[in-house]
Amino acid sequence: MPKNYTSLISELREKLKECKSPHDVANIKAHYLGKTGIVTNEFGKLKDSGLEERKELGKSLNILKNQTQELITLELNNIQKAKENDNFVDVTLPGKNISMGSRHPISITINKITSILSSYGFASVSGIEIEDEFHNFEALNIPDTHPARDMHDTFYVSDNKLLRTHTSSVQIRSMLSNKAPLKIMTPGKVYRCDSDPTHSPMFHQIEGLYVDKNVNFCHLKGVLINFIKEFFGKDMEIRFRPSYFPFTEPSAELDIKFKGKWLEVLGCGMVHPNVLSNVKINTKQYSGFAFGLGIERLAMLKYDIVDLRMFYENDISFLSQFKGLK
Amino acid sequence: MKISLNWLKEYVPNIKKNDIFTEELTSLGLEVSSIVKTKKDTIIDIDMTPNRADCLSIIGIARDISPIYKKKISLPKYIKFVKSKENIFSNIDKKISPSYSVLVIKSIDNSVATPLFIKERLEACGLKKINFIVDVLNYVMLENGQPMHAFDGQKFTGNINVRYAKKNEKLNALDGQSYALTTDTPVISDDEKPQAIAGVIGSEDSSVSVKTKSIIIESAYFTPNIIRKSSKFFRLQTDASYRFERGVDPLLNEYSLGRVLTILKEYTDIDNYFFNQSSASKIAKHIDKSILINPDLFESSLGIKIPSSFIVQTLKYLGFNPEKKKTRLKITVPSHRFDIAIPEDLVEEVARVYGYNNFTPTLSSNSINNIRNTSDKTNDYSDSLVARGYNEVISFSFIPKGDQDNHILRSKIISLMNPISEDKAELRGSMINSILNTCSYNFSRKNLNLRIFESGKTYIKHSDKKVIEENIFAGAISGVNSESNLKNDQDKLSFFDLKGDLLSVLPNLSFETYAGINYLSKTCQAVIKQNNKIVGYCGEPDKSLYAQYSIKNTIFYFELMIDKIVGAEDIKYKKISIFPKIKRDLTILVDDNILANDITDAVERKSFNYMINIKISDIFYNKAEFGMGKKSMTIEFMFQDKLSTLTDNQISDEMTKIISLLKNKHEAIIRI
Repeated sequence: MPKNYTSLISELREKLKECKSPHDVANIKAHYLGKTGIVTNEFGKLKDSGLEERKELGKSLNILKNQTQELITLELNNIQKAKENDNFVDVTLPGKNISMGSRHPISITINKITSILSSYGFASVSGIEIEDEFHNFEALNIPDTHPARDMHDTFYVSDNKLLRTHTSSVQIRSMLSNKAPLKIMTPGKVYRCDSDPTHSPMFHQIEGLYVDKNVNFCHLKGVLINFIKEFFGKDMEIRFRPSYFPFTEPSAELDIKFKGKWLEVLGCGMVHPNVLSNVKINTKQYSGFAFGLGIERLAMLKYDIVDLRMFYENDISFLSQFKGLK
Repeated sequence: MKISLNWLKEYVPNIKKNDIFTEELTSLGLEVSSIVKTKKDTIIDIDMTPNRADCLSIIGIARDISPIYKKKISLPKYIKFVKSKENIFSNIDKKISPSYSVLVIKSIDNSVATPLFIKERLEACGLKKINFIVDVLNYVMLENGQPMHAFDGQKFTGNINVRYAKKNEKLNALDGQSYALTTDTPVISDDEKPQAIAGVIGSEDSSVSVKTKSIIIESAYFTPNIIRKSSKFFRLQTDASYRFERGVDPLLNEYSLGRVLTILKEYTDIDNYFFNQSSASKIAKHIDKSILINPDLFESSLGIKIPSSFIVQTLKYLGFNPEKKKTRLKITVPSHRFDIAIPEDLVEEVARVYGYNNFTPTLSSNSINNIRNTSDKTNDYSDSLVARGYNEVISFSFIPKGDQDNHILRSKIISLMNPISEDKAELRGSMINSILNTCSYNFSRKNLNLRIFESGKTYIKHSDKKVIEENIFAGAISGVNSESNLKNDQDKLSFFDLKGDLLSVLPNLSFETYAGINYLSKTCQAVIKQNNKIVGYCGEPDKSLYAQYSIKNTIFYFELMIDKIVGAEDIKYKKISIFPKIKRDLTILVDDNILANDITDAVERKSFNYMINIKISDIFYNKAEFGMGKKSMTIEFMFQDKLSTLTDNQISDEMTKIISLLKNKHEAIIRI
């Protein structure tokens, strides 16, 4: 290749180095390969040379042209690539405005329970928390002499007004206003004078009540066994054992086998005839079953929470662990 | 209650292996809380439900398991008493003790060693050995459930009285305490002074020691409620009071003395004794009671057919006496069953022996409900706020005394008569205390970026009789939008974040400046309205509350009165215009006291043609250019017609009208 061609190439290399945009490269391309470009002009010289010389020169010119083309294309690609790198996104940087909060585990548990029970036909009913003795005790067949009725167990705000000790008071009100048949569940806050690692002066309960014609103990078992399976998402070993509540007869408690031990999870029974009579429901026509369970207890079992107090301290580090649950 | 398995086996010899027996007891309702093997014996601890006073003894438990082992229980042998000419009773209050028996032994040697088997069984059942006589009394109590008390005859002056204490009487009791008695305290006294709080504890004076030479043994049925009250009053529960307040078989007291005498006589000489008894005509409500039951009730209540032979046999083993009366059963209730009153009680007796676990779970078919769900709007609002980064909290309804005095009148505050502690003495009258308390708790744990909400009640005394419970949905924000963001992308949360969050949950809320809530700051406070009705408040807490909760971070708080909020109404589709939207901006200079709402309301109320939206898009201050008390506002208008593409002229006409309105109404100066 003629000497001036070699210097032409190194000159081109220098010029390309200074290019910053595809536009700059295009200018250089025009300057070398355009109609009046340096390389194009060199081809013009061919016709002035001899045949033998022309053959030789032609070869060199083609090499020059190809090299020029190649260098320009290469530079264009480099610039394009560099530009792409400017748009590179570090996808490992922190995400923006991560804003997912969380429901309280008590609410999550209540929602889970109510959605199961509502599929069994139970309607959710709520009521007042400051109750009178009739709706909280008397109507429920809890006698004056029952230990629950003294001030060691129940918070009083006046002589006859107290903080409800269970949501059964809501059942009484509902039966009084709706009569039979009815099928209700009553989630809510309840209060008892008790405070230690396993008892809180305020806690949450849900109770179910079904009053209709021909309701019997086998129906109670049917609802509760299915409920427990669905709540824990698996077959649990379950047992029913006789117990005592003033408002049910027969009365039972349901235990589940949890980590090898029987744990009491809920109380239940057939509604005591006195309770039905107290709310003017004809016991010859109607019977019913009722059950009640502590929300905190189920939440503790389900989420492996060991200290009851966590629920009311509301530490964000605790609450945030329940993200994604409804 | 702890029981010895060996002892129980005297009555029911063929008891099964421990784990099976535990299940059997539990399935009868005698829940086993622990079972411990000792060298010679097995100790079973049973959690007794309060209605089963009849099971507080070995014989009681044996009788309860007898239907399972098909073994009729009979009482151990005893000495029968003959009527005595001697009398030691002075005045026996039959209301306190409807059946009161004593055995007076005039000469006895109490230095005799307690027989080994008695010692072992007392120990197994958790009772301490004291002396021969007392040990025998305790032994018989464990055997059949009748508590008894022995007085030292020589320390007992004159006759026995069962009465209420007189003013200023006291008793130095066996536990070393001195009890000041009241006129409500039932006592056993001699002719001089009380020698026992009836059914609860005896006096130190007349207690029996190894030196005792003569004794008066009391065996009684006390009215359960009277004993319960007195035991509670003195905060004193003894093995005796525990049984008396639940109900001891009223027909057992004479037998028990005969049983005691039988045992005493086996180990020491006793010749000189006599027996006295005082009995009311009607000892207890349930004595001689019978219940008529329709046998169909068993099936209708339990859901399966239980053979009538099983029903009859079971009841017989438990001590009931069933007789056929035409189509019904007449069932006589035994004197030890205080808890049986109605046919359903008998259903439970049969069901628990049949085994609750042997009933087939069934799903009822008639389950159409006529009760409507109480609508739970808060659940939806909660989920929306959670999606916007809020954590739900649940606080106690109680707050410390004095915490709300700054913003709620004392006469409106509901206090507990018997609070569990000073910091849980009152019910909250507003959510602000609960929310700020939660913020403060988290700030102190370096959780500085908070978005929280709580759905709960507030409680206000309306009048002496009436209280108002209100459902409130409240919350607060503090810190930055997202602490995980890069520093550049972190913004301090402001009032407008809170407002935006609330509008995202309930789009038709409106916010107006307000100063009526005393726990919110005067300079950052809004009343929240929906359809022109007040539904809540929001803003920054008042300085005094920041101080009260030692909060240094800025907080924005809201509360919504959930029952006043109307959910999304029925939405009806409106036709969408296919013609282009055209946007116009207007920048005006107005007085600083003109609020954003003043501008938008003024324009919206006039309803200009084609205008479909108006919003404030920018606001800024520049003292040098505009002077004091002036601000620049940019307003964005959106126009669209339903029928055609709008022309420039059409829009300019409207803009001219808008400009003149703003000039007239708010003295706006048009900048652009």
